[in-house]
Amino acid sequence: MKNRCWRICLIAVAGLITAGGLAQTVPLSERVVAYRIEGAYNPRTHALDATELLTYTNHTGTTLEKFPFHLYLNAFQPKSTWMTEAERTGQRDSATGAGWEDKHFGSNEVKSLEIVGAGDVTKQMKFISPDDGNPDDRTVFEIALPSPLPPNQSVQFKIHFVATFPEVVARTGYKRDFLMAGQWFPKVGVWWNGAWNCHQFHALTEFFADFGTFDVKLTLPSGWNVGASGLQTGAKDNGDGTQTLSFHGEDIHDFAWTADPTTKVVEDSIQFGARTVKIRMLMQPGHMASAPRYLSALKGTMRKFDEWIGPYPYPQITVVDPPHGGGAAGGMEYPTLITADTNWWMPRSLLLPEVVVEHEFGHQYWYGMVATNEFENAWMDEGINQYSEAKVMDSLYGQETSLLRSRLGTASERTTDLLGYANVGDRDPISRPAWLYMDGSSYGGITYSKTALMLLTLESLIGEKAVIHGLHVYFERYKFKHPTPTDFTATMNEAVGQNLDWYWKQAIYGTELLDDRILSATSERLDWYSKEDEKKGTTNYHTQVIVHRRGTFDIPVLLEAKFDDGSTVRESWDGKDRWHKFTWDRKTKLVSASVDPERGYWLDRDPFNNSWSAAADRRATGKLAGYWTLLTQWLEQALSWLA
Amino acid sequence: MNGSVRSSVGLVWRHQRLVWWIFAVNLLLAWLASLPARAALGSVLDHSLESARFVSGFDAAALVLLLSRPDLPVSALASSSAGAAFVFFIYLLFLDGGIFAVFLDDRKLSRAEFFENSGLFFWRMSRLALYSLPFFALLAAAHGGLHGYAGKLSSNAPQERLGFFVNLGGNLLFLLLALFVRLWFDLTQARVVQDNERQLLPTVWRSLKLALRSGKLYAGYVGIALYITMLLAAGLAIWAYLPHRATFASFLVLELVTIKLIASRLWMKAASARWIALLPTQSVAVPLEPPAPERPAQPAEVIEVTDLQPPLD
Repeated sequence: MKNRCWRICLIAVAGLITAGGLAQTVPLSERVVAYRIEGAYNPRTHALDATELLTYTNHTGTTLEKFPFHLYLNAFQPKSTWMTEAERTGQRDSATGAGWEDKHFGSNEVKSLEIVGAGDVTKQMKFISPDDGNPDDRTVFEIALPSPLPPNQSVQFKIHFVATFPEVVARTGYKRDFLMAGQWFPKVGVWWNGAWNCHQFHALTEFFADFGTFDVKLTLPSGWNVGASGLQTGAKDNGDGTQTLSFHGEDIHDFAWTADPTTKVVEDSIQFGARTVKIRMLMQPGHMASAPRYLSALKGTMRKFDEWIGPYPYPQITVVDPPHGGGAAGGMEYPTLITADTNWWMPRSLLLPEVVVEHEFGHQYWYGMVATNEFENAWMDEGINQYSEAKVMDSLYGQETSLLRSRLGTASERTTDLLGYANVGDRDPISRPAWLYMDGSSYGGITYSKTALMLLTLESLIGEKAVIHGLHVYFERYKFKHPTPTDFTATMNEAVGQNLDWYWKQAIYGTELLDDRILSATSERLDWYSKEDEKKGTTNYHTQVIVHRRGTFDIPVLLEAKFDDGSTVRESWDGKDRWHKFTWDRKTKLVSASVDPERGYWLDRDPFNNSWSAAADRRATGKLAGYWTLLTQWLEQALSWLA
Repeated sequence: MNGSVRSSVGLVWRHQRLVWWIFAVNLLLAWLASLPARAALGSVLDHSLESARFVSGFDAAALVLLLSRPDLPVSALASSSAGAAFVFFIYLLFLDGGIFAVFLDDRKLSRAEFFENSGLFFWRMSRLALYSLPFFALLAAAHGGLHGYAGKLSSNAPQERLGFFVNLGGNLLFLLLALFVRLWFDLTQARVVQDNERQLLPTVWRSLKLALRSGKLYAGYVGIALYITMLLAAGLAIWAYLPHRATFASFLVLELVTIKLIASRLWMKAASARWIALLPTQSVAVPLEPPAPERPAQPAEVIEVTDLQPPLD
């Protein structure tokens, strides 16, 4: 509709290229949106008064008659769908949303909406609730165009809005002077699979948006340190105690920023051949001990992703360290900006700061570039990223010590994932839209953990290199796009040269549980009727191991049997029944048997029943029961303080 | 540390049989309570190669995974531990009369004398425990409130560590107040045993006044608490540096710490008894039939008793 505006945008981008050499010479994405936002932040009211000029170019191939927009901050209102769900079944940060105070409420108020060239259409804004019909939810509104927008034409929306931030919740908001501004501006939905995709904000969902460019000018108090998606392109002291900072980002689908007067800026860089990526960390003064840890984990992660998946194409990555009490802003991903999490007493042996930085950087690939629909296919960003996290953390810190590595004990990413999944594995299929999960623990255990375990298990079926190669191909094919689950599975099948649909069907679309166990294992004399004593190496034994499929996940089984002459036998079962009997007639007795001897089937929810040894080893039981005894003794003494 | 606290170390040492008996029952009850857990763990681990995760190392995530199994109902198993703790509490209440009799008299009581004293004072000790309960509950509630406040400070105060230090200070204050309440009721118990006192509430009140004037004894209690803390820290530090496979050595170290904890608590009781014993001297142990002649005052410490005032600080 507005070719003139499109040209203006092109000229603006070209100007930026010339001025700062900041932009890519060739767009990496199909730039559907171009946002120009100017706003002033009032730290006393925690509100941003802003004007947004959105240029939308219709690359859908179809004529568009209406446009839906997200107003995410309206989720933090009474009666909103987000709030209702958070109260009833919990949200991403806590089990339930109880304990809300007024300070937790936030809003996006549209003061005026104009379609450039067609006039003010504010009164035609219509709030819709496509997911649950909640009439009180105001996180999505729709506007009908006065005249339809044909393919390859543009339309401009000029929106005056006020974003009032809550005290930090769900990864956005303020804490004292700190502000993490996420999902703060009216954002247009995505035309995807032949329809608008613009879901309400739910307690368990994240986001979905189109790629484009962002030019943002923010006016804030002078002296505040600001971090943002994209790159800073200008700074102006307004002489009235405020400053105006300009940012430009391209080939990204969201723009987040943070401001804080007290943060310390730590800068570094990482080199990939001729490419340099600047690392900018905004650290809380009390968290400086974590800065080297963040940096080390970030660099290690970036190298692994570069090696395994593909290059990071942006010139900068910003890491935001939220302040104490602002943990709800931590552990979040935005394009080229991530939030970390630590505290002043974080033990070195507990790798939480590393895990968070690793995970959020991973999202630059699985969300940032491969921009899947986080509402409907949360596993495609969170789950695949969780798998990447396990791989990278294993690689950087050791498989058994990737989460905790103290003298007293260890913990691994993989076992922690198994822990999240083991008791919720059959509640929801991975493919379920995020807001339809039973509850937060099911969402976390399935979306994150099960997906990671699914890909780790796949390694055992087709090999680690094949899985990583498949992900690399998938990334290259779908970066700067919005792939579907079918795109993922088809690409993996093609990349590894196998039809794995039988596996995807169970793992992604089903709720089948994998739980194979050794039901019984015996070695009995073949000459049971003989009166002679057994002689090692002479007496013949009939050895029998029964593997029982307690779960319903059909998968080939490998059994390893060890005998008392030191020999080892490995045999397979196609797994197409409820049980299988392995038998041998040998002059040796069975010492031990284990299904999945390499421990590759991470989807098997109970690893303790996967093996059997003839000789009882009571050391573990003795140790754990000993600690149980000791704790009981101390409990006895604590109570006897009253005597 | 005042004389009664110092000399009571020897008192505990001389009557260490008490320590061993208390420890034996402490261990026995705990062991019995752990049997269901031992059986449940054994059924999963004893024939599983996965048990190696707890032998050559300690996989904390695997432990949580293990304890989250439906066939290992932790809360049900823990209830037996809670039961054991209650039985041990009753056991100590029962022994209190005998223990104070021993410490007040500083002589080895016959088994019959000891248990007769225990039985004689059991109900009174139980009542005293009940009387002390509201004070401890009040302290616990106040501590909980302070803890919550410190949590809010940790989140909202501009200084990140403020909440931590408020919490730490609150814990210390709670400990000091709890020690005072314990001292108060230890003195009450000692007086009840010494005087065969049946009027408990007046004794509680009189003991409060004594406790408020027993500065050095209280300082001794604080010293003992400090000693317990250091002991615990040292024991745990040694345990932490033992190899994972050294299960028996770990057991020994931690049980040694446990014995010391028991001895330290008895040390407090002994100090209170000693302090009370410096009041007008009289025989404490209930004589057996036929009635024994009244024993002379114990000459363990020769003091001039000119009035009924205790050696207040």
